[in-house]
Amino acid sequence: MAALSHHHLSSTAPFAFQQAPPQNHSGEPTQHAFYPYTDNGGSTLGISGKTFTVIAGDTRSTSGYNINTRYAPKLYPIGGQGPTHKGSKIVLSVVGFAADGRALQERLDTVVKMYRYQHGCEISVKACAQRLSHILYNKRFFPYYVQAILGGIDEETGEGALYSYDPVGSYEREYCRAAGAAASLIMPFLDNQVNLKNQYEPAAVSGFDKKQLVPQPLERPQVEELVRDAFTSAVERHIEVGDGLQMMFITKEGIEEVYFPLKKD
Amino acid sequence: MSSPFSINGGACVAMRGKNCVAIACDLRLGLQSLTVSNNFPKIFQYSPTAFLGLTGLATDVSTVSELFRYKVNMYRLREERDIAPKTFAQLVSSSLYERRFGPWFVSPVVAGIDGKSGAPFICGFDSIGCIDYAADFIVSGTASDQLFGTCEGLWEPDLEPDDLFETISQALLNAVDRDALSGWGAHVYIIEKDKVTKRLLKGRQD
Repeated sequence: MAALSHHHLSSTAPFAFQQAPPQNHSGEPTQHAFYPYTDNGGSTLGISGKTFTVIAGDTRSTSGYNINTRYAPKLYPIGGQGPTHKGSKIVLSVVGFAADGRALQERLDTVVKMYRYQHGCEISVKACAQRLSHILYNKRFFPYYVQAILGGIDEETGEGALYSYDPVGSYEREYCRAAGAAASLIMPFLDNQVNLKNQYEPAAVSGFDKKQLVPQPLERPQVEELVRDAFTSAVERHIEVGDGLQMMFITKEGIEEVYFPLKKD
Repeated sequence: MSSPFSINGGACVAMRGKNCVAIACDLRLGLQSLTVSNNFPKIFQYSPTAFLGLTGLATDVSTVSELFRYKVNMYRLREERDIAPKTFAQLVSSSLYERRFGPWFVSPVVAGIDGKSGAPFICGFDSIGCIDYAADFIVSGTASDQLFGTCEGLWEPDLEPDDLFETISQALLNAVDRDALSGWGAHVYIIEKDKVTKRLLKGRQD
């Protein structure tokens, strides 16, 4: 009787984690760890023009030396109608930790759609850019591990608008920006070809009267060629970049998507 | 940051053209983020048409460049002729491998034209002498990522000397402008069969 009641009333279970052997077979204490981040590689870039903005990204997704898939888009249309984002004129690109990138896209998309329900008009890129900064900073101490680039059309001037971000929401409007694994390869090339850095008027290339070439907004065919050159170069020298190049051209008419195969090795 | 290869900073690049080669380096010498000198060339000449670029630990850059001056002088005395770039590359390789387990912390680049055939030649090495032969370009130093990007984007085959000069200069200047440890001006050598042109580029002074 005593033994029976002991079983019924005892608060200790017949088994417990405390009884588990504290050591594994090699004699080392068992340790558990959870890594909340992974780097999925890849690269993105954005260039803004007179009447358009282009956002581009490769479609390879990696974990270490493994390729997860050869087609994982890093470019997301934001807002518009329904799950197809019909009529959207803003594109978000995210590179770094793909899961965080996806979560960020979901958050921003919801916010932009809620904006239209509440205000009855589309959000401006300027406001969307500011909002994205706040979303990122809200997770200041457990950040979205991504480098984001946001592209659209400036409401006031009709020109292309491009914003780039660090993982905690520090942002800046720029004419061009490369992000991700091959950013260090692509960015100096863009400095040279888009912002014409280190290029001078041929009449006087040295001395006090030398003049820096003034960057002009580029036309779409030139921009498309530059983007392709930048990515084929990056593919050549970076193992995490390749498979496919996805480009989104944002104009006042909407978003036009272009896909271009890259080397798969 | 405390890697011996990135304490002093610096960048070097070599390119092949049509019957010519080019080699260029930046001029910065620093101690981590502190710039100590803006006149520290990293290219050394060992025969009329054989050049060596050295980036990495500055003390080793100086020591190794002097070591090769000694070795090439001994070669010239024994052989009574100038050393060919290909031969020099083998000398660099074997000299570095001699220090297999206590290496010189340098990333050398060789560029030159064969005195007899006039064939252009460039190659690079790791710090223990493994040779990287290339038909297009070789990069080294703390701005190597940036240089890979600019070179891959700007270089094309069979460039004439003037175009090769423009290409290598733009590749180097734009690359070092995105690297905090390199820059402060550049030296560019354009090497043809019987002419060497050295140019000094100002570049950004920050």
